[in-house]
Amino acid sequence: MTDQHPALALRGLAKRFDGKVAVAGVDLDVPAGSFYGLLGPNGAGKTTTLSMAVGLLRPDAGGAWVLGHDVWTDPVRAKQLFGVMPDGVRLFDRLSGAELLAYHGLLRGMDPAVVDQRAAELLDVLALGDAGRTLVVDYSAGMKKKIGLACALLHGPRLLVLDEPFEAVDPVSAALIRDILHRYVVGGGTVVFSSHVMEVVERLCSHVAILAEGTIKQVGTLDQVRGDRSLEDVFVEVVGGRTATGEELAWLSR
Amino acid sequence: MAVPVTAPAERSRPVSARHFVRLKLRVMGNNFRGQGWRIAMFVGGVIAGLWFAATGFFLLAAPGLAGEPKYALMVAAFGGGLLVLGWLLLPLVFFGVDETLDPARFALLPLTRRTLVTGLLAAALVSVPTVAVLIATLGLVLTAGMLGGWAAALVAAVGVAAGLVLCVAASRAVTSAFATMLRSRRVRDLAAVLLAVLAALLGPLQLVGLAALRQADWDRLAGVARVVGWTPFGAPWTVGIDVAEGRAWAAPLKLLITAAGIGALLWWWSRSLESAMVGAASGGTAKARGGPVGGAVTQLFPRALGWARRDRFGALVARECRYWWRDARRRANLITLAVIGIFVPVMVNFGGTSFSTESGMEFAAPSSSPVLASLSVLFVGVLASVTLANQFGFDGSAYAANVVAGVPGRLELRARATAFSVYVLPILAVVAVVLVVVLGRPAWLGLLAGTLLASYGVGLAINSLVSVLGAYSLPETSNPFAMNSGAGLAKGLLTVLSMIGSAAAAVPMVVAAALLGDAWLWLALPLGLAYGLGAALLGTYLAGDVLDRRASELLTAVTPRR
Repeated sequence: MTDQHPALALRGLAKRFDGKVAVAGVDLDVPAGSFYGLLGPNGAGKTTTLSMAVGLLRPDAGGAWVLGHDVWTDPVRAKQLFGVMPDGVRLFDRLSGAELLAYHGLLRGMDPAVVDQRAAELLDVLALGDAGRTLVVDYSAGMKKKIGLACALLHGPRLLVLDEPFEAVDPVSAALIRDILHRYVVGGGTVVFSSHVMEVVERLCSHVAILAEGTIKQVGTLDQVRGDRSLEDVFVEVVGGRTATGEELAWLSR
Repeated sequence: MAVPVTAPAERSRPVSARHFVRLKLRVMGNNFRGQGWRIAMFVGGVIAGLWFAATGFFLLAAPGLAGEPKYALMVAAFGGGLLVLGWLLLPLVFFGVDETLDPARFALLPLTRRTLVTGLLAAALVSVPTVAVLIATLGLVLTAGMLGGWAAALVAAVGVAAGLVLCVAASRAVTSAFATMLRSRRVRDLAAVLLAVLAALLGPLQLVGLAALRQADWDRLAGVARVVGWTPFGAPWTVGIDVAEGRAWAAPLKLLITAAGIGALLWWWSRSLESAMVGAASGGTAKARGGPVGGAVTQLFPRALGWARRDRFGALVARECRYWWRDARRRANLITLAVIGIFVPVMVNFGGTSFSTESGMEFAAPSSSPVLASLSVLFVGVLASVTLANQFGFDGSAYAANVVAGVPGRLELRARATAFSVYVLPILAVVAVVLVVVLGRPAWLGLLAGTLLASYGVGLAINSLVSVLGAYSLPETSNPFAMNSGAGLAKGLLTVLSMIGSAAAAVPMVVAAALLGDAWLWLALPLGLAYGLGAALLGTYLAGDVLDRRASELLTAVTPRR
């Protein structure tokens, strides 16, 4: 890779909702070719940060660059370079899986023949071919994640931004998604994904950033962040979790 | 060790309607938090409600205030009957029902059906329209009191309260049942046909009614009022008058009729409520669709869109076309449009015909004129386009896909208008042809078609802009009539504003019909087509620019708050 630009660069991203700070100035450099895990507890601002990074939510301050292209001032070029799987966002779910892929492909300006061929391949690999013309709204949660991933991959982006790709996914599908992402990174792509599942992050990622209360608390390669401890210990320490003393909720064991 | 599940230490307290009411007030209050414009909308709604209430009050109190007992029964029966009819039909056509408390949210709570229905009913009673109707119908109490003293006023008050419950129960039952009907894919076509037949029947019924009204003397009208008074439509509103006029024996019977009506409606509602709750949880049944035919791209494009290019524009049009049929909310809009679009102009233009023939005038000399006909179809064109006033709200957060793909705003709006037109243009054509046939004026075809196209086109232009600037989120329930609290009003205001704007922009067509005479019959179609098409193109061109700058804000606006 000869890119001197990072795959994704965030500078001073900030956002408040109704006076409440959701993200308070996030700086992040995602090197091209890395497998980047964005860790954080619920409500840390992961989804808000990623939404601002891909142009779905306008930041109050700061900016985002994809391979050197500003997402907010040069959206057309930037948006061609990445694929997104947002979390908590509906797909156009009254289409069947194949229809949805065709829609995404054509929307990205792809050649219809290429769309047909890639859609068939993706449906086959993700084991969604059996669903036939079932509408995506009737898919299970895991199937929805898989078709969302297929939509993000279809146009062959250089950067994949995935929000909670392993949430509500059964182990078989999760393994499949891991394999595909791994192959994608080996092939020169870059993946940024958010999660709060330590095992997955530890297994996959080359780089990790821990986000809490709207700011980056720790950042670096997996080994830098983890040191000689487990990632979970570091995470709980950084985030400042509490442990039960056994006094509370006594009525549960009555 | 597993946690032993013991009986709760204290008996759980029973849930009553009070809790639902408080929950609704709390949800309404939280919706206002930090949302200045929502408060403004609400205040606007309260003012409109008060205006309606005052007008209604004086109309209904008029017989009492004027001391004219012979009109009292008529006013009560017809006024009240219209109220019930309005509560039945208006939610279906225009406003939707306020689902601040979405029944599906209660699916997991250990509540009996009776508790749930009474609770939701009580919560539904707490709203601006119900308070407005209550104030208006107090006019009936006043009338009864002035004509028959305290006893009559008291009975009238009981009747009014029961009538109000009847109204709310009717609106809930009907929308809920209709929603269930539309949700089931098997009967959706049946529902469409049923509505169409109903509308087709309404027209002639209206004629009969009007003709009767024209001929009838007051005595016969009073007879009709007496009959209406014995149906659930009129029973609750007329009890006070009955007591005042010395028919005290009728009061308990009529209250019984009302109670039976309410009971039947609540039973009906609770039936469809259950299916709404289950349906929302499971997302409907899986369909036995045939296997895939052809590649993914071929599958996306409906057969009717075979002409469309397989590019971004084509994909947007194809997806929108699929959605107008597959999304229950959009389909409900389309069906309503088709029904009203045919029904209203026929009513307006045909109304005079039967009178003129009956009163011995020349054969088939409809009282309609080119101006009246133009006006009536102008309404249809405007109504069609206003369906798009919140077109992005239909998508909800799914619109994110288009934002991420960076779809240019002009392309987006043009594609949406095109897809909607695939459904609307045939409807408009049918409207024009039906009107021409009914009126027996083949020469007016160009006039009607031209006016329809012009008003639809300028409507598209205005609503493209409104849909970008005034978008609001719709709740993600399976009820196509559900509105967020507060949004009902927002929708109403937005709809009215864009309708007025569109109508104003289409007025030149009516002026031309008035001034140009016969020449206009020939000019209307080409000029109307050019005007409409030009306006639509200009509107999407301008609004597309705005959309390019506001795409992410628009996405935030249409994403339901969770």
